[in-house]
Amino acid sequence: MDAQILTVDDSASIRMTTKITLTNAGYQVTEAVDGLDGLNKAKAGNYDLIITDLNMPNMNGLQMIEALRQSGSNVGVPIIFLTTESDAELKTRAKAAGATGWITKPFNAESLVKIVQKVLGR
Amino acid sequence: MMNDPIQVFRTEASELFEQIESGLLDLLHDLSDRDQIDAVFRGLHTLKGSGAMFGFEGLASFTHHCETAFDQVRKGEVPATEALVSAILNAQDHMKALIESPGPHHDAQSERLLLTLNAALGGSSSASADGQIAIEGKAPSTKTGSTTWRLKIRLPKNAMANGTNPLGLLNELRGVGECEITADRTSFPDFLNLSPLDLHLAWDVTLTTERSRSEIEDVFMFVIDDMQLEIQELPMRSVPAGAVGDGSAPRPPQSVETVAAGKLTDTKSGSKAGDNVKVPAERLDELMDRVGELVIAQSRLSQLAASIGNGQLRDVSEDVDRLSGELRDTMMVLRMVPVGSLFSRFRRLVHDLSRETGKTIELQTDGESTEVDKTVIERLADPLVHLVRNAIDHGLEGPEERLRNGKSSTGIVSLSATQAGGEVVISIKDDGRGINRERVRAKGEAAGLVQPGAVMSDQELLQLIFKPGFSTAEKITNLSGRGVGMDVVRRTIDELRGTIDIRSEFGVGSEVNLRIPLTLAIIDGLLVRVGDSRYVIPLSAVEECLELSLEEDIRSRGRSFISLRDSLVPFLRLRDLFATGTEPELHQKCVIVSTGNERVGLVVDQIIGDHQTVIKSMSKLHSTADMFSGATILGDGGVALIMDVNQLVLRGQSKEALMRAAV
Amino acid sequence: MTSVLETSRPDPIWPEAQQIEALLFELNRETFALNAKVVQEILDVMPETRVPGSPSFVNSVINFRGKVIPLADIRIAFGMEPRESSIDSRFIVIEVDVSGEATLVGVKADKVHEVTALSRTDSEPTPSVGMRWRQDYIHCLVKRGSEFIIIPNLQAIFAHEERLSGNGISD
Repeated sequence: MDAQILTVDDSASIRMTTKITLTNAGYQVTEAVDGLDGLNKAKAGNYDLIITDLNMPNMNGLQMIEALRQSGSNVGVPIIFLTTESDAELKTRAKAAGATGWITKPFNAESLVKIVQKVLGR
Repeated sequence: MMNDPIQVFRTEASELFEQIESGLLDLLHDLSDRDQIDAVFRGLHTLKGSGAMFGFEGLASFTHHCETAFDQVRKGEVPATEALVSAILNAQDHMKALIESPGPHHDAQSERLLLTLNAALGGSSSASADGQIAIEGKAPSTKTGSTTWRLKIRLPKNAMANGTNPLGLLNELRGVGECEITADRTSFPDFLNLSPLDLHLAWDVTLTTERSRSEIEDVFMFVIDDMQLEIQELPMRSVPAGAVGDGSAPRPPQSVETVAAGKLTDTKSGSKAGDNVKVPAERLDELMDRVGELVIAQSRLSQLAASIGNGQLRDVSEDVDRLSGELRDTMMVLRMVPVGSLFSRFRRLVHDLSRETGKTIELQTDGESTEVDKTVIERLADPLVHLVRNAIDHGLEGPEERLRNGKSSTGIVSLSATQAGGEVVISIKDDGRGINRERVRAKGEAAGLVQPGAVMSDQELLQLIFKPGFSTAEKITNLSGRGVGMDVVRRTIDELRGTIDIRSEFGVGSEVNLRIPLTLAIIDGLLVRVGDSRYVIPLSAVEECLELSLEEDIRSRGRSFISLRDSLVPFLRLRDLFATGTEPELHQKCVIVSTGNERVGLVVDQIIGDHQTVIKSMSKLHSTADMFSGATILGDGGVALIMDVNQLVLRGQSKEALMRAAV
Repeated sequence: MTSVLETSRPDPIWPEAQQIEALLFELNRETFALNAKVVQEILDVMPETRVPGSPSFVNSVINFRGKVIPLADIRIAFGMEPRESSIDSRFIVIEVDVSGEATLVGVKADKVHEVTALSRTDSEPTPSVGMRWRQDYIHCLVKRGSEFIIIPNLQAIFAHEERLSGNGISD
């Protein structure tokens, strides 16, 4: 079965690019528009990977990751976050919240798919 | 339904502009409105990120500066002012234009608006219009011939719970080269304590590959800061170690890297984890204080024993003396940590910088096991980051330029540490383009640091790059940090009582050597008396001591120069400087101290003798007393202040300048 | 540390309680009080080491159990005459926040009296006129019998005197 990916981003354009790229690469993509939406959708479903922005209204990415890790739902699911700068401190905080890895914006289709394959173990 | 992401971005951008604009307008009514500050920041942030995604580079780099400005507001570093809000409001119209008709014809306007923005920020952060946004991309590998590596891999216990798939990583490693993998089960708990989500296995891998060390590290890119990873290059199998071949010596195991961020004790090579005890640093400091007190009490005891003249008492006193001395030495050793803990931070930095600059960089490290006092390590971190960034940003050339110059396309930055006597030498070396002396000189002259045409030694010229005001004119890129000049490096090294030495060959590379005392806690000093008080002069700065007779002193009134062989050295009468209100001794002494090139004489009433002493810091209430770098407690329980030779030399020089002007 | 020394709170000297335990001491015949919670120790007079170039109200340091700590004479801050120490003189060691750092400071006293309970109901805000001293250097006055006890605002004193000294010192 195709791997199920949840993408969480408040930017419609980023969501759309991500979805097009990942669908073309053969994944099933579900979208969420902010942290709260992401958390609810993650809890309701069963995903192989979650890709999330950090800077979002309602609930930011860090809070969402932390809440999801503590919820006991989707145990051990890889979570990749999007970040604009190579900000070491932010990475440390995101990892402390339970993130698996990151991808630096702007990214192209190739690098996105590469990271996804890396984290899903191909 | 739109299917073109760029069209979606344009729609989204116009919503963002509305959000930013309404936030800014609200802010004009109430500049302290946190919600609006956050909303504006978020809007700018998204605009920048999405803009860069869809090829609006002009928009992204311009918005980057506005975002940075608001980030400073958000963090409380600069206040939200009407001028700033208006500058961003104006800038917003420009951003719209950058989306409608992207292209270089906006550059002049971008520059102008950023100047206004900068002025609104109080000119504190210099923005430039060409701030770069990093593009993800990997430089090609250039290594030829395969190498065998031994890897020790231990992932954090919670790696699986946080979504890392260890098998995936091992598979990826198999993709890098030929692997022999063995699992290390030694820390596997018994069944009752087994938590299925925790990771208890570690792995030993022998990997043969043509790829470089950094490509192996890339496999672990998301966990490298949290895990223990040792990568050791094995000697070539076909050449027995120690064999002498045809002029090319066999390669020794070049360096062992232990990445164990935040775990200082783990990096000690050869010691088992179970043998180490973690102690909070402040307890060590407390213990150090107690030991200091003990040493002081001991010297009272030995004075007493000497005056009472009881043989038995003297024997006991000597025993206690020896023991407390040993205790202090042991204590000093406890505070030492290997510099490996410092070096390991640079893997990540170099990795990120490599991506940002598009330069292929290999970081080599050596001497990780060299031990330095923990306070020194903490203080060294920032200067080293700056020097490494500088080497990468300004030193190393891009891959094409390197190939053109007949170099390997991979630039090498190496960090090494060696101990030499009571000092540790940390060296930061690159094989880049070297320092262009003419440019340094021109820049120094432009900044007013050198008189045009002045004769300078090569070292003096190179040292210019550490002068305040030298690097301020430089544009701030993503790399070279915000407003941290090389003068900060100099200041920190001065504070550590260290020295900086630069070597550079044009076209070949540069090397910066930092010589730092092993410990900040103890100082060898010369104990002197000025008026009724005693002071310590760091012995490392003392060149010689001369007698200054009363007649000479009177004769030199109004001149304050002492002739020392062929040169005139300015001197400071510490009695006057410290306003002791006492009469001068008949036989005053003049202690000549130096900081590298500059010398000054310090006139004291009496030289008491050498004194090894534990340094105590002074409280912030005495931060204005800048002639002193600390204090120490003497054998009789009294306090002596430790002179800051750098400050005193500066005073001597300004006095000299005044005198010269008056003549 | 203790909230007594924080000036940002509305009325930090009387946190929850209506009473505090205070150490009373004397400077030039005026009675001062410090919250007993911040007092670490009361020392006999010991040799002090003058620090050239330091602010005049903390112009020396002493050895307090192996630490070098500043010694403050708050008389200077209040513009009172300095005095030679006498047989009754003591150094009161307190912990106070200096630029965000908990710092041990010795405070000179002509004489140390008892620790006593001071009650909020007896306190009066510092009058804005008719005072000899800077109003912000005083937290409040507490009436006891016929005399007023001065509770100094050490944080304000240290912060302000430190700033003054920043511009005032030269050789």
